[in-house]
Amino acid sequence: MKKRSLFYEFKKGLVAENPVLIMLLGLCSTLAVSNKAINSLSMALAVFFVLFFSSLIIGLIKNIIPDQVRIPSFILVIATFVTLADLFMKAKFPAISKALGPYIPLIVVNCIILGRQEAFVSKNSLAASLMDAIGMSLGYLWVIVLLGMVRELLGFGTIFGVRVLGSWFKPWLVMVLPPGSFITLGIFVGVLNWLRSKGGKA
Amino acid sequence: MIEKALIIFLAATLTNNFVLTYFLGLCPFVGVSERASSAIGMGFASTFVMTMTAIIAWIMDWLVLRPLHLEFLQTAVFILVIASLVQFVEMFIKKTSKELYKALGIYLPLITTNCIVLGLALIGSMKNYNLLENIMLGFGAGIGFTLALVLIAGIREELEFRNVPEPLKGAGITLIVVGLMALAFMGFSGMVTL
Amino acid sequence: MKLGVKMVLVLMSIALVSGLLLSYTYEATKNDIKRNKEIEKEEAIKVVIKGTERFTEKQIDAKNYLLSAYNKDGKLIGYAMLTEGAGFQGPIKLMIGFDTTLSKITGIEVLENVETPGLGNRITEKWFKEQFRGRLTPIGYVKGKKPEDPHNIQAISGATISSRSVVKIVNDAWKLAKKEINK
Repeated sequence: MKKRSLFYEFKKGLVAENPVLIMLLGLCSTLAVSNKAINSLSMALAVFFVLFFSSLIIGLIKNIIPDQVRIPSFILVIATFVTLADLFMKAKFPAISKALGPYIPLIVVNCIILGRQEAFVSKNSLAASLMDAIGMSLGYLWVIVLLGMVRELLGFGTIFGVRVLGSWFKPWLVMVLPPGSFITLGIFVGVLNWLRSKGGKA
Repeated sequence: MIEKALIIFLAATLTNNFVLTYFLGLCPFVGVSERASSAIGMGFASTFVMTMTAIIAWIMDWLVLRPLHLEFLQTAVFILVIASLVQFVEMFIKKTSKELYKALGIYLPLITTNCIVLGLALIGSMKNYNLLENIMLGFGAGIGFTLALVLIAGIREELEFRNVPEPLKGAGITLIVVGLMALAFMGFSGMVTL
Repeated sequence: MKLGVKMVLVLMSIALVSGLLLSYTYEATKNDIKRNKEIEKEEAIKVVIKGTERFTEKQIDAKNYLLSAYNKDGKLIGYAMLTEGAGFQGPIKLMIGFDTTLSKITGIEVLENVETPGLGNRITEKWFKEQFRGRLTPIGYVKGKKPEDPHNIQAISGATISSRSVVKIVNDAWKLAKKEINK
């Protein structure tokens, strides 16, 4: 494998290898909690916390983990950080914790996190892994927050709880229901592909 | 009692379909749903693992974690239960039936990281279901998953011969179709509830 | 064999560290989490029974709690039920206030619901909840017009099932409370 700069490891998660729109990982949480922008943002921060610290710890201890128990060890580390995030949110932000419901503990099986440990952290240096974790989290963050903003705008007429569209606007209820989530994300994927093909980048 | 269990089964399959209303189990959805035959294999393997998970997670939850006040270890314990269960099922099938292993083997490792399994364990625990109800939840969610997976695979096979705009090919159109399917499944809502 | 020992050792030590870390955090956050739940209950009972200063709580079964509300002079001013029942898409959790004779509802508060946003979800809107204030038990509902009977409330148009669910939950809770108090 050729040596790539740390900046590249950071940047690739944003668009070129975006975990949600290109690799289609972590769809459950993306679709489920993005009915309001604030929920999206909280979810993205929780994912960032878990991904960053799991990458850090696994990057540090990967050499002493025998190959056969790699996956269970990774899962244990991830589950620990997820539970930490869950307890913290329950204690300090009960309203948000309630809105996100079981999707916080479900970060354990968010394919982005285990996928990155398997595909990247276990094969790369610690510094590269951390850059990768930050890049991937940001890639996840902008997609889910944008999705949340679009759905909240069309479904409630607000963004981050602030009324944007006047009373003339009849909210599109379907946007905050599950079907709206799938359809909006599908359109996002299409738009990104279209922009990329227009830009001539592979 | 039996009636409540049946209602849970119906709700998990149709009105509260785990894929279409809780967005659980989407990773294999986009990956495996290209052929109806592999969708059926994946569906049944998952249903089996989910039913087993419902049983073992319930036992761990009510006989170990809750009496010892270790609820905060729930997530970690559930995921370990699932991972070892999948491993065990794989070994068992490999030993007993070569054909079954050939048919289901490749899907099994994928199931561990499928959020529908852990989601089912967590939702069952949140609702304080008894063992029978939890089994129905697991079985129903599995059947609902299979149903959605097979339906979408059928539609995707058709879509291959249709003129889909280039950027939407693959994931884009799949998500939109799933969205329309979710809309159709909303027609069931109100019938029964979880 | 050596590998086997190493495998077990590594997994055990990860599990141990993780367990310690989690139990420490759990201890540290436990009180906050408990207090959040108390605050929610306290705010709800103050809404449904005006003038509540302190309350006692009694568990009836897994989903129902009977709360007795007292004013600042320590006088019993009403009962409240913290209860849960089936809505259109999932459970609805309510706090329902009654007067001391359980003949009148003093208010309701919706604590949790997963009704359809924009339709059934409107049970959380103020005008809907306010309607319950002063209704006589048991309650019922009418569609599309202002109710004349003091037992009835007006259902939300387009969300009759959710409205009906709330009415049913209120009546069930009322029956349960009556049984409990007359015991």
